[in-house]
Amino acid sequence: MTRQRADILLRQAAGSFFAIAILLVQLLIAPQVAANEESAFSLHGFGTLGVARTTGNQAEFVRDLSQPRGATNHWDARVDSVLGLQANWQLTPQLEAVIQATSRYRYDRTFTPEISWAFLKYDPNPQLSLRAGRLGTEFFMLADSRLVGYSYLPVRPPGDFFWYLPFYAIDGADLAVTVPVGEDVLRGKVYYGVSDANIPLADKQWKIDGSAMAGGYLDYQAGAWLFRLSYANIRFSHEMPIDDVLAAYLPPAQAAQASQYLTTANTRSHYYSLGAIYDSGPWLFQLMLNKIKQGSNIFQSSEGGYVLAGYRIAQVTPYLGYSWIHSDSRGNTLNPVVASIMADSHADQNTTILGARWDFAHNMAIKAQWDAIRGEPASIFPYRQERAAWTGKTDVFSVTMDFVF
Amino acid sequence: MNSQRLRLLFFFACLLLLPAHEALAELVVVVNARSGVAVMTRNEIINIFFGRYRQFFNGVEAQPVDLVDSHADRARFYSALVGKDLSDVNAYWSRQVFSGRMQPPPRVANPDEVMKWVSAHPGGIGFVDLAKADARVRVVYEFKP
Repeated sequence: MTRQRADILLRQAAGSFFAIAILLVQLLIAPQVAANEESAFSLHGFGTLGVARTTGNQAEFVRDLSQPRGATNHWDARVDSVLGLQANWQLTPQLEAVIQATSRYRYDRTFTPEISWAFLKYDPNPQLSLRAGRLGTEFFMLADSRLVGYSYLPVRPPGDFFWYLPFYAIDGADLAVTVPVGEDVLRGKVYYGVSDANIPLADKQWKIDGSAMAGGYLDYQAGAWLFRLSYANIRFSHEMPIDDVLAAYLPPAQAAQASQYLTTANTRSHYYSLGAIYDSGPWLFQLMLNKIKQGSNIFQSSEGGYVLAGYRIAQVTPYLGYSWIHSDSRGNTLNPVVASIMADSHADQNTTILGARWDFAHNMAIKAQWDAIRGEPASIFPYRQERAAWTGKTDVFSVTMDFVF
Repeated sequence: MNSQRLRLLFFFACLLLLPAHEALAELVVVVNARSGVAVMTRNEIINIFFGRYRQFFNGVEAQPVDLVDSHADRARFYSALVGKDLSDVNAYWSRQVFSGRMQPPPRVANPDEVMKWVSAHPGGIGFVDLAKADARVRVVYEFKP
């Protein structure tokens, strides 16, 4: 990436942050009057200013599939920087309205703010919670707070576990039921909705808006332990825009056959996961495992997971983690062109994570992290712009400042 | 090991022990005297204050109240209850709030207002120094030194 391009991006980012800041000030001033009579309105925000770089330029490192370009061996602010604002209105003791806007580097290479949540929440009693509107999806545990850096220990949710998850929200509804079991708590949730996301490809975007998503999970909280079992699926509604690539390299009959073979519309992907968190005193321990079954031949099914352990010493929490992802190549590839397209979704690597979080001020934290990614040269799925010289190995260095207000 | 190192080690050991000492003061958990709740376990209190399950065993909905960060009792309370630093507690709530799951308990400025809140709400529950607890509330949990 040229310096000029970086400048433009930085300016775009600054522009969006500025726009949100103005919005924030307006929102803060306006409802202040109302807040005197009715304290049911609240406005909060979160953000991360971060830079990341790798040790090579054979592939660009991204936070997840929603980012079209990523970091190489120059410090890059796009990977982790985000700003979010959220307003809550407590309409009655049972009914609440929530709206959240976020600005981050997204599929169209801008920081255009988006409405990430906009829903009504109805809690008729302590056992039931119903939400409808645009909601965060917890396809995997903690997936609905991936952008809130202040809420978790590492710089970013481990990529080997979350890369396959570019979905952040659904337009739909969810229902949660909480049941006490002695002193423990059992919680179940089901949800259904349609996605509104776009996934960037080399020079195009794959629309997954309109894709139906459904799922649920069971949580069991026993003292400092939290266990989670979850399942979700998505039925893709659109084809991937690969027909012109196929047409360029294959004769018409073969291109049509390949297009048929690599179809995504109306295929279903299944997501299974298992998680355990131990959070007590200075200790934090997380273990997450997932298994993804892809319905379309264009994707490879995969298994991934991570372990993370942290121990707080005064205001500093050093942490150590290890994550991995392995995907299964499919046997039948028809022809070399199809084979190369199918190889795009291959991942086979592990990452050792070492870092520290420093809670240096009220509601602010600084984190520094080293990710040692060790993979096969064929492991190119989560990267952008990978070159022939890519070895599958790189180191990522990140520094972030997270805050909430 | 030279003496300077020993002194450093001692200093860090003191840092680690510091929160435990602070927790020795007599903080108690109180509920509204008419709530019908007489005693609670630590896990039940954690469930209510962390929003895992906000109901007493007798079916009364729990209405917890918290203190502002600037009041020292807040840090003492969470240190005694779960051994957590306030930044951990605030990080927990930032996850709950920004994922749209739930809001933290309302926060008041001082223990007098905690007492006022607890006595004004049928399911009120809060924490104060033992000396502050009067007939309007019932002490349901004491943090043992």
